[in-house]
Amino acid sequence: MNREPVLTKKDLRKVAYRWISVSIATYGYELQLAPSVVYSLSPALRKIYPNDEEYKKSLNNHFKYFNCMPWLAKILLGASLAIEDTQGIDGVDAVQDLKVGLMGPLSGIGDTIGWVMIPTIFGSIAAYMAVEGSIIGLVIWLIINAVFWAIRVKLVEIGYYQGVKFITKFGEKINIFTEAASILGLTVVGCLVSSVVNLKTSYTFVSGDVTLALQDQFDAIMPSLLPVAVVGLMYYLLKVKKVKMNWIILGTLVISILGAALGIFG
Amino acid sequence: MTYIQIILITLLSAAKAYDYQATQVFIFNSVFWGAVSGLIMGDVTTGLYIGGTLQLMSLGVVGIGGSSAPDYPLAAIIATTIAVSTGQQIEIGLTAGIAVGMLFVQLDIIAKLINGQIGRSMQNACNNNEFDKMNRIVWLSVINMMLASAIPTFIAVTLGSTVVSLIIETLPAWFTVGLAVAGGLLPAVGLSMLLTYMPTAKYVSYLIIGFVLNAYIGVPILGIAFVGIACAILFYHQKADQIMSPTMAVSGGLEDE
Repeated sequence: MNREPVLTKKDLRKVAYRWISVSIATYGYELQLAPSVVYSLSPALRKIYPNDEEYKKSLNNHFKYFNCMPWLAKILLGASLAIEDTQGIDGVDAVQDLKVGLMGPLSGIGDTIGWVMIPTIFGSIAAYMAVEGSIIGLVIWLIINAVFWAIRVKLVEIGYYQGVKFITKFGEKINIFTEAASILGLTVVGCLVSSVVNLKTSYTFVSGDVTLALQDQFDAIMPSLLPVAVVGLMYYLLKVKKVKMNWIILGTLVISILGAALGIFG
Repeated sequence: MTYIQIILITLLSAAKAYDYQATQVFIFNSVFWGAVSGLIMGDVTTGLYIGGTLQLMSLGVVGIGGSSAPDYPLAAIIATTIAVSTGQQIEIGLTAGIAVGMLFVQLDIIAKLINGQIGRSMQNACNNNEFDKMNRIVWLSVINMMLASAIPTFIAVTLGSTVVSLIIETLPAWFTVGLAVAGGLLPAVGLSMLLTYMPTAKYVSYLIIGFVLNAYIGVPILGIAFVGIACAILFYHQKADQIMSPTMAVSGGLEDE
């Protein structure tokens, strides 16, 4: 602990409301939700860093790729503030490791509860009653979401206070912890490569009566062969060739549309 | 339908987008958006029926982690409006509503690409010490996402179902298919960027474990997260034990409970 924490509960509640007011509206393919993170945290970070250079360094750290189920992402916002409020600008690497390490697992829990369980259970009840002309099912669903709202506005505080406790307790073991979190993160990213990225070829070799679907051949080698190849290629271009993100996005669009026009993809 | 109804339905569609993107209280709730559209159009029962029907169709279809799924609540707004204004023809309303909901997925990709530029200009403002400007720019993304929902709604409810299906039929297939292909590929850009931040080369084994569990065995993400947690705990204890060597006993003894 290098410094006296300056944030109050009021500051943290403000972060929660700022997050709820933009949430996933800033989603882009490069930064994902990072602009929302910056917008939500900026008043609290300004309070931590009166110095412009430190403030800017911290903001740029938060401009890195971040994607998490928005309800639970607030826990990470609180925990990040806990690190920066106690360790100052030296804590930014730990903040980045923590966010990247835990955003996947939290999303796994959040997506399952918020986007699958609730709409499936309460959505089906509301839908059946609505088709019969009743709004009671709809009202039940809205009450459930009101309860969740009450929890959602408190999550930044929970992340912050648990975060401080955690850092005090673990001390220098925090580095091992964040490395362990990277391991968890990479395991989840491995899953995302096959579950989120989607590319199949519809190309078919025709030779007399014999037709051969190229995708079947790929599947025989391994599932998700094309998504793995795409991620591998992009990683190589970004990391080794230092190609700008814009060119990769533009290239993806051009190749997708050309591929569709030539009947290779689709 | 009246001009006021057209305006109210367009605003409702923008409100739906804001709730989906930010407040998330009525998210994935086609019943609600159908019912409110019905209220505006003067027929709540039809709105509830259409919303409920679309809700049932949408069960299990969720866009997670940046992937794009058909916008069923938007379909509910448009379907209800067209069904009530064309005189209770629920089937026509549903067809047009679903078509626009599907088309919206592609507009959604364009809106997210524009968001990429907005995010970058935010970071530029930050690096120029223009912090207030940075915090104002974020609202362009919000407006962008609201327009991406309001514009197709306005067009659909003004032009009606016939024209809507005509437009969708005349868009060249290579364009719509190409955008769909790009929608599947673009999440790879973000993932690749993420991998460049992480100790990927050092811990590539865990990337492979996560991939194999999903691609070969079909373990859902939460199950894979449990495996990841197990690996992380093993790694943590192994490393923590190394730190707990005798020289560290004083500080270590206090923490080790």
